Amino acid sequence: MRFLLPRIGFLLILALAVMALPARDVDSAASEADTTCAEGVSPDYYEIELVTTRKVSGARLAKGVGEVTYVQSPFGISLSEDGSYLVNIDVSMSNVKLADGKQLVAWVTTPQLDEISSLGALDENLQVSGQTDFNKFLLVITLEPAGEEPGTMWTGPVVSRGMSRSGLMHTMAGHGPFETEPCAVYGY
Amino acid sequence: MQRFRFNGLLLAAVLLIPVLPAQAQEMDHSMHMHHGHDMSAGDSLAWRMAPMDGMTMPMMPEMMDDVPDTGAFLPGFGMDVSMLPEARPSEIIDMANGDTLRMDASMVRRTINGREYVMMAYGGMYPGPLIRADRGAKVVVEFTNNIEMPTTVHWHGLRLDNAFDGIPGLTQDPVETGETFTYELKFPDTGMYWYHPHMREDVQQDLGLYGNMLVDPTEEDYYAPVNREVPLILDDLLVDANGLFPYGEEAPTHALMGRFGNVMMVNGITDYSLDIEAGEVVRFYLTNVANTRTFNVNFGGARIKVIADDVSKLEREQFVSSVIIAPAERYIVDVYFDDEGTYEITNAVQAIDHFRGTFVPETHQLGTISASGSASADHADAFAEARTNEDTIADIDGFRRYFDKAPDHNLRLTIETKDLHPMTMRMMEVDTLYFPPIEWNEGMPMMNWLSTGDEAKWTLLDEDTGKKSMEINWQWEVGDVVKIRVFNDPASFHPMNHPFHVHGQRFVVTHIDGVPNRNMGWKDTVIIPVGSTIDILVDVTNPGKWMAHCHIAEHLHAGMMLGFEVRDPSMPNAGR
Ligand SMILES: [Cu+2]
Repeated sequence: MRFLLPRIGFLLILALAVMALPARDVDSAASEADTTCAEGVSPDYYEIELVTTRKVSGARLAKGVGEVTYVQSPFGISLSEDGSYLVNIDVSMSNVKLADGKQLVAWVTTPQLDEISSLGALDENLQVSGQTDFNKFLLVITLEPAGEEPGTMWTGPVVSRGMSRSGLMHTMAGHGPFETEPCAVYGY
Repeated sequence: MQRFRFNGLLLAAVLLIPVLPAQAQEMDHSMHMHHGHDMSAGDSLAWRMAPMDGMTMPMMPEMMDDVPDTGAFLPGFGMDVSMLPEARPSEIIDMANGDTLRMDASMVRRTINGREYVMMAYGGMYPGPLIRADRGAKVVVEFTNNIEMPTTVHWHGLRLDNAFDGIPGLTQDPVETGETFTYELKFPDTGMYWYHPHMREDVQQDLGLYGNMLVDPTEEDYYAPVNREVPLILDDLLVDANGLFPYGEEAPTHALMGRFGNVMMVNGITDYSLDIEAGEVVRFYLTNVANTRTFNVNFGGARIKVIADDVSKLEREQFVSSVIIAPAERYIVDVYFDDEGTYEITNAVQAIDHFRGTFVPETHQLGTISASGSASADHADAFAEARTNEDTIADIDGFRRYFDKAPDHNLRLTIETKDLHPMTMRMMEVDTLYFPPIEWNEGMPMMNWLSTGDEAKWTLLDEDTGKKSMEINWQWEVGDVVKIRVFNDPASFHPMNHPFHVHGQRFVVTHIDGVPNRNMGWKDTVIIPVGSTIDILVDVTNPGKWMAHCHIAEHLHAGMMLGFEVRDPSMPNAGR
């Protein structure tokens, strides 16, 4: 890297990346500064890694992933009318032993939690598929009473969660080249 | 092939210098000026800061005084605009088999948003004449170059004879100013096509050198009945208070993301309007001729049904909420305006504010459709039905057994950078945790503008051979069915979407990120979003030496092209 990043900005970003990304992605994100293309990069750039909260017994070591693909359209990609990406999310979990009378339910929510929608209950293979057009979102897996239709908001504890790749886009104010630009000036 | 490119660029540069006004030749990097400079009316050839429409990012002092590593260039700069003929709206030229059209490219006066510009036109028209012919027809276009740059004409999407594909150094020599070249066109496929220069597209096409070719079906009932047919060419143009924003003289600027315009145009005007009767079904033939902008087109909430892709009808007509169209793509859509009223044609996208790290809804008004009275013929029932096109299905049937074959070629889309502006490097290093699938807006005007092909080399990497871009020269034979897997590497330095265009052949998209495509049409250009893997299956029918490339004009010039050669075994010397 020819130009050193201001340390605080770099650490912040690194911290964010570590929180939200599996290890291999941190490597690719950090190495994007050098301009050669890395070998063996996952094509699943927008895939969402689900990270366990370790709070739910039987799911403390849960693994999971939300695969993101475009909803089929004649245009290759899909958008809602306002231009937001319309994607399929195929959720699959493993390493989970559910107690009797319980089921896992997948949800998507905006980062502010002001909009929540259910992708549905995971089936016996711990899989479920749904769609969303949220620009930035969290994918949340919760423990719910078995057999019940998911309502407008989860009731049970969060088993795992992950963030859409777009959630990593964050303000530059106060970071990097804008270290001297106070965030407050811009209202955040 | 590599030699051609080098020579082509060099030739263009050499030829341009003598015709540039003295001011351009004297331009050096100390002569640029910035906003606030006292300018008289009229285009200015001085570099000034790139237009920063809607940007929240504060200007970085380190970048304030920088200009691209190429001179500022405006064709026809210094000409008395009042001496130029005013371009007129496009006309339809109906051509029968064997007809000849004489058409030139010339400098014209255009008035856009009340301001006069020196621009270019085919046949003195904006867009160029709409050439209309029946499928199977062959016609001749006697083309004369009356602009002050060498040029060629590429007939995009036509499976025509290689000699007339318009590629300088490969299929023909550049057509110099005052020279004529005779193109023989043939139309084997029904649908909407377009023509444009294949030299400095970033300048010539941007300044108005584009036109449509409509190939009519020869079959009865090929399409469902509609009340009217309307071509819509989408474009954008970059201007500021001093006029047209200059282009790079030796090489295109905006190499990183392409040159986004800040003035949206439909059929060459900013206030496109169409009066119809309520209850009409209108068939729109959409073409995107912008340098880099991908559009998401709405028709004011009117229902939209997609009929056809670039080179054929879809297997199944499909209702959609909007039309996503990348540079060089075409779509034919039927739109039903059931009620009286005004319908706004808009481009509705989620732009990205890189500074705030947010998506920002952005809507551009493209035109207005006014519906009143009531339509004499009622095609609502035909519209409501999404037809299954058995002819397209049958045409594709012969290829289905190849859908899951292993790729014959694996292509990685990437970029190599060198000596980018230090601030650009720093910015990009910070802003690399998320790249959107499509860049819908000009998110970083200064950094983008400052980059040329010297600093940002867009690359098609053949993963099977390690060859790059024009080192690649795939060898195919007529009758081959070739699968190409195109991967847009998200780990490259500032990845971006690329509309990938294959000359002289047609292809279907078989898989998108591993998911089988369930509704195909034949295409010649396809969006490759960031991070995506797109499998295309090429129907190799047309012998000759061809190109495949990114259709973002600035990416093409920054190296994003490759060559392939199709031999006809029945004609051993063909294509050589
Ligand atoms: Cu490109």
